[in-house]
Amino acid sequence: MKTFRFETKVLNDATLKFAADEMKVNQEYVSLKVVEEKHGLLGLNKNYVVEAVVNFDPINDSIRFLQMILTDMEIKAIVEAHQGEENNFTFTIDAEENPILIGRNGKTLDAIQTLLKNYINIFTDEHYMVLVDIGGYKEQRKKQLEILATKTAKEVAKSRISVCLNKMNAYERRVIHTKLSDWRDVTTESEGEEPNRYVVIRPKAK
Amino acid sequence: MAVNFEKLIMDLVAPLVVHPEDLLVKKFSEDEESITIQVIVHKDDLGRVIGKGGKIANAIRTISYAAASRIGKKINIDIDSF
Repeated sequence: MKTFRFETKVLNDATLKFAADEMKVNQEYVSLKVVEEKHGLLGLNKNYVVEAVVNFDPINDSIRFLQMILTDMEIKAIVEAHQGEENNFTFTIDAEENPILIGRNGKTLDAIQTLLKNYINIFTDEHYMVLVDIGGYKEQRKKQLEILATKTAKEVAKSRISVCLNKMNAYERRVIHTKLSDWRDVTTESEGEEPNRYVVIRPKAK
Repeated sequence: MAVNFEKLIMDLVAPLVVHPEDLLVKKFSEDEESITIQVIVHKDDLGRVIGKGGKIANAIRTISYAAASRIGKKINIDIDSF
């Protein structure tokens, strides 16, 4: 969580606003705690040492955020969170109307993920890896991509001609690279500019 | 089914801004095909709501678009500051 320590002469709303501005977050999420009172000479000047803390729990607040959006969209859904190793979070959404939430080629799903990742990283100093999955879409897509990767790689190894795959987003490209990283006969590389980056599978020179 | 788009966009944008008092979401016009919604934020918040290369703004648009597609409408979102 973000914390910020400072000294002030008075404690009021302006103090809170100052702390929120300094940390660049919405002041509704900030709480102040007086750590120490400093007295000047003769006890006239009083200074407070204040610590401002952002009240944010990555898992529960993210679930609340997702639920709020889904309720606004009038979609009933179950949201579950799962913490992997270190700062890895996976959120799974299961709704009655999954196709709407996934969108064409997972476009809406990516938008939700971008927004949630941004939402979490605003309130924290640490960097979190966020993955959102809806109704097992990403898992299924991963399997498909792995099949595609293996199939294409076999062809490339046989014919020794490079093959370009369709444009993909960062996550999908990563799946392909990881899958083919331990192959002896082929190398993979991403080419082109976002958002039209694609993977090229090349035969390895012998 | 009536989705309240103003509330949806308000909830999407609100956590991102530092000055919630200057946040304004207003429906500009609505006809049979499309809805236009105007989002006005504080000058300092504009960058965070739009994001790098419009990444956040486009994510907000995509989500609203998905919500609007259920009632067969297109949604336009204008983001601006004072």
